[in-house]
This record gives sequence, structure tokens and C-alpha cells, in this order.
Amino acid sequence: MNTTTAPKRIKVITGNAAAAIAAKLARPDVVAAYPITPQTEVIEQISTFHASGEMDCELITVEGENSAMNAVMAASLAGGRVFTASSSWGLVFMYDAVLAVAGARAPVVMVNVNRETPGIIAVSSGQQDMISTRDAGWIFLIAEDCQEVLDLVLQAYRLAEDYDIQLPVMVHYDGFFLSYLSEGVDIPEQETVDRFLSVLKDQPKRTVLTPGRKLGVGSHGILGGYMELRHKHVTAMERSKAKFEEIDREFDGIFGRTYGGQVEEYRTDDADMVLVGSGSMCGTIKSVIDDQREKGVRIGLVKIRMYRPFPHQALVAALKGKKAIGVVDRSLAFGFDGGPIYTELKAFETRLDGAQLISFIDGIANTDITKTNVEKMIRMTGDLADGKDVPEVTWVSYPDANTKGEK
Amino acid sequence: MSSNRYFKHQGPWSDAADPLMCTDTGDWRTKRPVVDKEKCIFCGFCAIYCPIGVMVMQGDTHFEADLDFCKGCGICAKECPKGAIIMISEGEFVS
Amino acid sequence: MAEKKKGRLTKVLDYLKHDDPFSKGVAFCPGCGLELLLRFIPRVLGNDIVITGTPSCSAPVLLGQNNQSWHTLSYFGTLMTGAAANATGLVRYYRKAGIDNTVVCFNGDGTANDIGFGNLSGAAERNEPFIYICYDNEGYMNTGIQKSGTTPFGATTTTTPYGTVSRGKNLRRMNLGLKMAMNKIPYTATATLSDLDDLARKLLKAKEAKERGFCFLHVFAPCPTGWGADPADTIEICRQAVKTNYFPLWEAENGRIRMTKTVKKPKPVNTYTKLMKKFNHMTEADHVILQDDVDYEYCLLGGLSVLEAECQLPVSVKDQGETS
Repeated sequence: MNTTTAPKRIKVITGNAAAAIAAKLARPDVVAAYPITPQTEVIEQISTFHASGEMDCELITVEGENSAMNAVMAASLAGGRVFTASSSWGLVFMYDAVLAVAGARAPVVMVNVNRETPGIIAVSSGQQDMISTRDAGWIFLIAEDCQEVLDLVLQAYRLAEDYDIQLPVMVHYDGFFLSYLSEGVDIPEQETVDRFLSVLKDQPKRTVLTPGRKLGVGSHGILGGYMELRHKHVTAMERSKAKFEEIDREFDGIFGRTYGGQVEEYRTDDADMVLVGSGSMCGTIKSVIDDQREKGVRIGLVKIRMYRPFPHQALVAALKGKKAIGVVDRSLAFGFDGGPIYTELKAFETRLDGAQLISFIDGIANTDITKTNVEKMIRMTGDLADGKDVPEVTWVSYPDANTKGEK
Repeated sequence: MSSNRYFKHQGPWSDAADPLMCTDTGDWRTKRPVVDKEKCIFCGFCAIYCPIGVMVMQGDTHFEADLDFCKGCGICAKECPKGAIIMISEGEFVS
Repeated sequence: MAEKKKGRLTKVLDYLKHDDPFSKGVAFCPGCGLELLLRFIPRVLGNDIVITGTPSCSAPVLLGQNNQSWHTLSYFGTLMTGAAANATGLVRYYRKAGIDNTVVCFNGDGTANDIGFGNLSGAAERNEPFIYICYDNEGYMNTGIQKSGTTPFGATTTTTPYGTVSRGKNLRRMNLGLKMAMNKIPYTATATLSDLDDLARKLLKAKEAKERGFCFLHVFAPCPTGWGADPADTIEICRQAVKTNYFPLWEAENGRIRMTKTVKKPKPVNTYTKLMKKFNHMTEADHVILQDDVDYEYCLLGGLSVLEAECQLPVSVKDQGETS
């Protein structure tokens, strides 16, 4: 890590505050948002910045999330830089507009503070909201800690508004864990952020909706036209993978922090076993890995930072040739044996040179993914590596799910 | 990069710089408005109430329908205060 | 002789200062009220408006097909659920960027009164500076004539059919215009296609009033196809709707209601209902219910306009700039 660049200005703040500060530093033209636990602090902070004149944006205090997404979509297509934030049911309530934003290729940036969304009202952490929205056509990035929340929001603007990409980006972070957790965050200077984002100004101008310009957006895609736009969308998503790596390297040069792009590898080089995780659980996993390494267990972590597009090339490169891989999901996939990320990775199993996969479900409904839980996962992944009989799926915090005869 | 065969832009933008799309709505018509120039008092009601706006001013004497697009709804005939427009079946004009 | 003739030209033509930006051949049904309204708006307000449109009868024309368009206006094709929020996003960005604009959020009654009412209401509360126009054809016509909140009592639609245990819609219509006026927005008005000078004046008034915030026009626009009417009767239906007080013409500045056309001797509502098939099955008793509803709404309107005229206007409201 390059630490010779900008001086550090550490403040102890929550993940929500980090998101709000990042939004302020990106200087959006229009912000529209509606409160929902655990995101509310984001818009409270932005409202405070706006009220004090620190943030020169149009702030739209909408009457619902659906309007928040619709308002920022239109403002984005008119040429503005926009921001919104939501969570869980809020994300669901804006879902039609979430799809419309992607189809219109509006470079909207938002944060989604992950929270459960089953019919059981659960004011608790979980990535089910993200999973339920995964193929809306947005780029999905996932932060591990408060610093990464701030950094990813800034990187998200570079990615979304890049002329070669032009896609909406959603930055996810775990509700309740990261949203309310205070930790030290290095808050960059405005000028440094301006410099980082200024690259966008030198790019060709994207198409925008201007009065009297005889251009309209929201045209019907007829026959081949529909497929042409869908294909353009898919290829732009694929391009975003390399672009994200490039932006991460450039970010390192300016801010002195790098995360490795689509995936972050932690002590994987000589590892026989790897856990695959995402979000706030990764801090705990890293800490357990350090302990286990002391004991000679050759375990590493692959952290998914970019979930859509699915970074299968980067994952295969990082996991190829390992003996056993345990995938930790904080959500469910129905009709499959295992969590959603496990299921997706399973599609690439034949490219992993014989590595075996198992699925862990943990951390839903606010259960803590504790060090003990991680130790258990590592033990089971080790058993798998040793050729022992290990169940394919384990609900780590809910032993009742693991009784014989039940998956 | 994908082709730009149907769309010039990345997203669903349509560009009015291209020739506008146009349907031959005149083909739909079963009756056509015929204007009696003598009766016409040049008030323009037929023109303002025609949904398509196809009642065209002929100098400053009378109005006539642009039959390429007139759908034959009959509003002009109905709204003419002098009864100067009558709707005549298209069959009458088949030679 | 010719000069004499020219002197009689309707003054409505004077309002049509701008070109018709639409292609001549567009796929609206013969006699469509929506088509007349849609072509009328930019001819009065100018071709530099930005118009937003949702899935509805207007969508196949407002929205393009692939790269091609049916008109030369800047448009934003959007979803029914978020139309007013989209218009909000546009005007807020234009304000931030210092771009002059007249955004017209153009929707049917299904969007305005039903599925998109939440964001219409929110935009009114925030007094967003654009013009929302609802063309009211009293139902979901594009999907094949289903009931909406503005479908009147008794009317048959494909979801309120006439049958042995059903006599058309068994509920009263909602009064969208009054709902909006009560938000005290700078300008609310009703209008229809028989009174085009009144419509043009209200459009221009809205364009001026939107400098102070949210404007709402509720335009009664018959659908001959969906209502079972002779396409030639579209304007006559509008006229009778006004003459029976079925659709009274009024405007409200900051919520202060003023009639723009008063009908001295309103005709019974069946002079209106007989012009279309959707009321065909109605008995005299049914007509009494509909007539009562029409009279009741008119009473409310009358009461409000009297109250508003009599009440002392606070200085702060006067400062918001009334034009009448």
C-alpha cells in the first residue's frame, strides 16, 4: 500500500456518515431520498450539509422511495450528477424505477444499506435486498468497512459516469453492522476528490435531455433494437470489470489506498483453503485467518467487492487449484443447494482445477458472524480438503437446519 | 462495442433529426369530408377541432382536408356552424 | 368578399403561435380527444417544452421507436408510478444548471388519479415548478377500457361490465381537480376541448404560474372508442359535459376557486349520457344517482368559490402573486 500521498485526516464516523460525506465530496447536482432504517442517517447528514450551505445541491425530500429513484433518474438523464440512498423495502418500493434507470443507462449512484426483505418484518442485517435486485442491470459494489464505504462511493461515480460504461452503480454495505458502527475513516480533502473525479470532465459528453434539442429518452426498443440495447448493456457491464480495476489503481495513486479491484485477496497465495465472503463479515474472517495462520492452517480469504457484473474471471484466477473453498452467504437462494453466491460460483467449478466447494449460510436476521462461527467454517472447509464427508450446506447459526435428512 | 444499427446512443434515445415516423392514416377513412366553398364562412372551427389538424386553409376563402392523413372522424362536419362540410362515403370516389 | 371572410376566423387560431411538432400520421383513433389536446399544447406553449409521457394511449406517439420519433419535442418516456417524480428530477436539475425550461408532465387519469397519485401529491406539496396535465378519458383506454378512479357512476368498462348482478361502476368518480386545488398550489384548472380558447388561456396562465411552482390542469378528453360514441361527437360530448355541469370549467390560484364558465340553466345529465353507449343500460333511478353526484360536486365547487371569494386573503398569500 502506498502511504506517501495525501495526508490523513482521520475521523471516527459511522458507515452512514461515510456515505453521506462521500456524496458531499462528489458534489452531486441533485439528491433525492426517503428515510428508512438503517439508511436514515445518510439523508439526515446530507440534509444537514445542505442546510448549512456545505452542500450545493438540489435536495428533493420525496414522499417515497419510488419517487427518489424516479427523480434522480430524470435528473441524471438531463445531465446531472445524482445521489440517493435506500435499504430493504425502500429498494423494493423503487424497483420498477431501478430497472428503468438501468435500461435508460442513467449513471445514477446510490448506496443501499443491506437489510433483510422477507415477508417476516425483520429490522435486521442481511443481503437479501441486494440478491433480490442482482439482475436489475446495475453495477453492484460491496464495502467491508466504513473507509471502504467512503472510497467505494467515490469510485462509483468514476465508474458510473465513465463514457465507456454509463451504468448505474449501487454501493452496498451491511445495515446495523456498518451503518451504525463508528470507526476511524480517513476523509480526503475536497480538492483531492475533485482531482480524482476531474477525469470525467475530459471525456466525451454523454447524451442528455435538453429542452428544445429534439431528442427524447425512453424510446420503445422494437425487435432488433431491443436486443441491440440489451447487448450494449451486457457488454458495458463486462467492460466495467477492467475499468473498476483501473479506477482502483488510480485511486491508490491519489489516495494511497487500494483494495484490489473486483475481488480482494487476503493471504491466498499459499493457501490450500479459501473462504469467499463479502461485506462486513470479511473483517472478522481476516482476523480469524491471522489466528489460524499462527497455528499453521493455510487459509485465505477472497472478498467479493464487485458482485454485478459477477467477477467470475477474477474469482477463478484467485481460487484455481485450491483444495477446498467455503462460500459464505448472507442471504438465500431458493431451489438451489446453497446460498446465492455459492450457487453462482458453482457454475465455474469445472474451471477451478478440482477445487471443492461448500456453502455456509450465516449472518441473516442480525446474527453475528462470530469468530467462533468462522473457525467452524474453516474447520469444515479443512475437512472437505481432507476428503472427509461434509454437508454441502450449513446454516452456521441455526443448527436445526443441519439435522440429518434435511438440507 | 455493439453496433448502432437501431439506436445511435447507448440508451433508448430517439432522435427527431431523423425523418419523423408517419403512418398513412388516410387509409383508415371510410368517409371523407367535402367542403362546400360557397357555404364556408372561413370561421376555422373545422381546423381547430380537427384532432389531426388536417383542415388546411385554402387562401383566405375556405378550408379543405388533407386526405393523406384525414381519418374521417367527421368532427369537422359536425362542428361546422354552416353545415358546409358533409361526409361522403369513400365508395363514392372509387372510379 | 375574401377579406370579409377572413374577419370571422376564430380567435383560437391566434393562440396557435407555434408549429405542430407531431407527424401528421400518428396512430390515435379517429375522433380521439387526446390527439387534439396533444397537438394543441406545444402549438400554444412552444416547441421547446420537455414533455414526459407514460404507458398509456399517448405513449405509442409520445415515445419513439428505436432511434425514430413521431415528433420533434424533447420527451422523457417514463413509468406510470413515477411520472411527477421524473418531472421533478428534470426541473430540479435544470434549475441547478440554470437551464430555462417548461416541463409538461402529461398523463392520463390512470396515472394521475390512481397509480401515480402519490408522487403527484408529493410534487404538489413540494411545489415543484412544472405543469402537470391530466387528460381524463375516465379509464384505462390503452389496455382496453378498464375502470379508473375517475370513471363515473354507472359507466360500463371491461372491469365494471353490465350483468345480472352488476350495473356498471357502482362507485362515484373522484374529483381530481378539486383534490389538487386543495393543495393551494399556484395554479389549478379544469378545461375541455369544446372550449379551446379557455384551454389555451389556461395553458398560458400555467406557463406563467409555474415560475411560482406547481400547476395542474385537468382536461376532460373523451375517448369515442372506449365510450362507445360517434367519433364525430367528441367535441359535442365535451360541450354537453360543460352544459350539464358534469365537467364544470374553473380555475384556482393558490387554491382560490373561480368559475371560468358558468352555465345559467344546466341541462339534465342525460343530455350528456345519451351521447355514448357506456351509459346505455342506465335506468332513470341510476340517472338520479349520477345527477345527484354531479349536482353535489357542483355544490361543493360553488360553496368553495363563494367561501374563497368572501374570505380575507392573508398578505403572505397575496405576495405569492395572483394574476387575476
